[in-house]
Amino acid sequence: MVEENFAYGRSFIHKLDPKIRIIASIVLSFATALCDNLYLAMIYSFISIFLILMAGLNTIDVVKRLKPLFWFLLMIWIILPLTFEGDILYRFYGFKITGQGVVLCIKITIKSISILFLFTALIATMTVASLGNGLHRIHVPDKMVFLVLMTYRYISVIEQEYKRLLRAAKFRGFNPGTNLHSYKTFAYLAGMLFVRASLRAQRVHQAMLCRGFNQKFHTLDDYPPNRLNSIFLMGICGASASLVILEMIWVEI
Amino acid sequence: MIDNDSVIKLEDISFSYTGSDIQVLDHLNLEINKKDRIGLIAPNGSGKTTLLHTIMGLCKPDSGTIKVFGKILNNEKDFLQVRSKVGLLFQDSDDQLFCPTVLEDVAFGPLNLGFSRTEAIDIAEKTLKRLGIQLFEHSVTHKLSGGQKRLVALASVLAMEPEVLLLDEPTAGLDNKVKKKLIHILNSLDISYFVISHEFDFANAVTDKIYSMENGRILRDDEIHIHHHEHVHQHGKHPHIHK
Amino acid sequence: MHISEGVLSGPVLATGAVFAFAGTGMGLKKIDYDRIVHVAILASAFFVASLIHINIGPASVHLILNGIVGLLLGFAAIPAILTALILQAVFFQYGGLTTLGVNVVVMAVPAVLAHYLFLPMLGKSPTLTFIAGFLAGLFSILFSSILLGLALWFTNQNFFETSLAIITAYIPVMIIEGIVTGFCVTFLLKVYPEIIPKKK
Repeated sequence: MVEENFAYGRSFIHKLDPKIRIIASIVLSFATALCDNLYLAMIYSFISIFLILMAGLNTIDVVKRLKPLFWFLLMIWIILPLTFEGDILYRFYGFKITGQGVVLCIKITIKSISILFLFTALIATMTVASLGNGLHRIHVPDKMVFLVLMTYRYISVIEQEYKRLLRAAKFRGFNPGTNLHSYKTFAYLAGMLFVRASLRAQRVHQAMLCRGFNQKFHTLDDYPPNRLNSIFLMGICGASASLVILEMIWVEI
Repeated sequence: MIDNDSVIKLEDISFSYTGSDIQVLDHLNLEINKKDRIGLIAPNGSGKTTLLHTIMGLCKPDSGTIKVFGKILNNEKDFLQVRSKVGLLFQDSDDQLFCPTVLEDVAFGPLNLGFSRTEAIDIAEKTLKRLGIQLFEHSVTHKLSGGQKRLVALASVLAMEPEVLLLDEPTAGLDNKVKKKLIHILNSLDISYFVISHEFDFANAVTDKIYSMENGRILRDDEIHIHHHEHVHQHGKHPHIHK
Repeated sequence: MHISEGVLSGPVLATGAVFAFAGTGMGLKKIDYDRIVHVAILASAFFVASLIHINIGPASVHLILNGIVGLLLGFAAIPAILTALILQAVFFQYGGLTTLGVNVVVMAVPAVLAHYLFLPMLGKSPTLTFIAGFLAGLFSILFSSILLGLALWFTNQNFFETSLAIITAYIPVMIIEGIVTGFCVTFLLKVYPEIIPKKK
């Protein structure tokens, strides 16, 4: 379930320092999110598509990741053009579709896809271990980094436990449906997961004490300085800054 | 009198879980000396894991004394000092390996002992090599197989260079190949260890003495007669004790 | 429950980020090093449990369970939920970077409130325990969907109908979460009461 499908590549982006990729994606994501101009939004989408291509990812897998977004976009495309106030573009049976509503839908669609693409290209292309390392080096508190790494570590363990519990329930004739019995069964399964998680936490904590845990976390990964890192970061920041400035001037005109 | 050979000595240890009348450990005595290789075979629920956790100071006994290297351990601070010298291999390796990568996991102990990063990495790499699993160094821990995880967990304990090793069901869930490897590794160690197992053949292959546990007490080999023969009752398949 | 990228305005994103930052800081402060493993592995369980799909007629919804996380963790639920959201973004692309703050607020603020509102009711009697759990589950989703609607409405008042549609769509989820949380809390109190924090 938690497969790091994109993390093991040989592209130029995979070789970049996680810290640089995290900073670059934050800068570029916010610049895109704050953009309110259709044409500039399209430039951001070109940048994100370019990054996806640079990362050499499987296109089908990348598009599959947009599935959760698709439902939201579908909803706003149904609601917004009908409810947004503005110049009427088209009218039928008392419904009216507004130009502004349609433009907003297009903008949201382009922006949201761009932000997800660049997240996929820059962040999903690293292992969670590297992500933890990068977060540590941009001074995210130790406890927070540890939470991310530890939570990730035990997801697959707990998922296995869930599968075993569900299989056992199904062997005893459990057939999920829309009824109170099914909801109760799932509630007990979820409850059991929390119980096992808590008991496991006690054992993990004991194991840490046995190995001399003294309330300090250490990271090992080293990333040798690489000129590509700073060039890439300057490129991304430069592009974002010029697009933001361009939008400010554009609005002035 | 200081007994130089004694590594771990439990005297009159009693333990019961809060809210329970059952004495998990009942005036238990146990001594592990230098170069001792002891096996403990006992049924599930007889308090074996509790025994190991008591030695490590993870369970506080209701009464009795715990001596490690001749020193009586009373509080968390005392236990903290001996934990680096007494290595405990947990029954479930997933409990023990919590770092993202194998190398980080094995280096965790040495880093806690105050070694520098390069020293810790060096120790970790050497330990992995010693166990023949250096290829996993950069693997993501949770993607390893059960057998690989057990060996990495053992490496993470050995990396702290303990003077005595406690192993809690080290063969649970392992196939024969990994079991053989484990037997080979244990037999090549020159430190004393105490193995809990329910597999007679395994315990026999890696230890010199086999104890048993009953009603919260340890039975020494002169008190027990573990044997292996078929019975009409189903316990005949397993080594067991006749009184 | 997530708000998508590219929708919210700058001020709303910034407000979300500031509250999430402050809340995470407070939460982390409440987690000492002896408890951090507990919070992390409960966050793993939360991540896995939120993938459980439950049928409603021909459709299915996945559980959210922020109510339970709030009951079990209190303020520590904020960093736990942030962690789960980061990992969900990495693995499933539910939301991205800019909405992380808003999404943490949407999910975690109701969770923490549920802790203080409904924890004192637990364990008084089996019926009251179930009702407290039910309310915690229902209230968390209701309040989360209202916060999500507000985030849209503050962005642009033309989103009013969209917000209402979202809140309405979550009504069946509220009921299911209520039932599941009610049973789940009853179960935990019977099987492993130590997991429920002691009332102060």
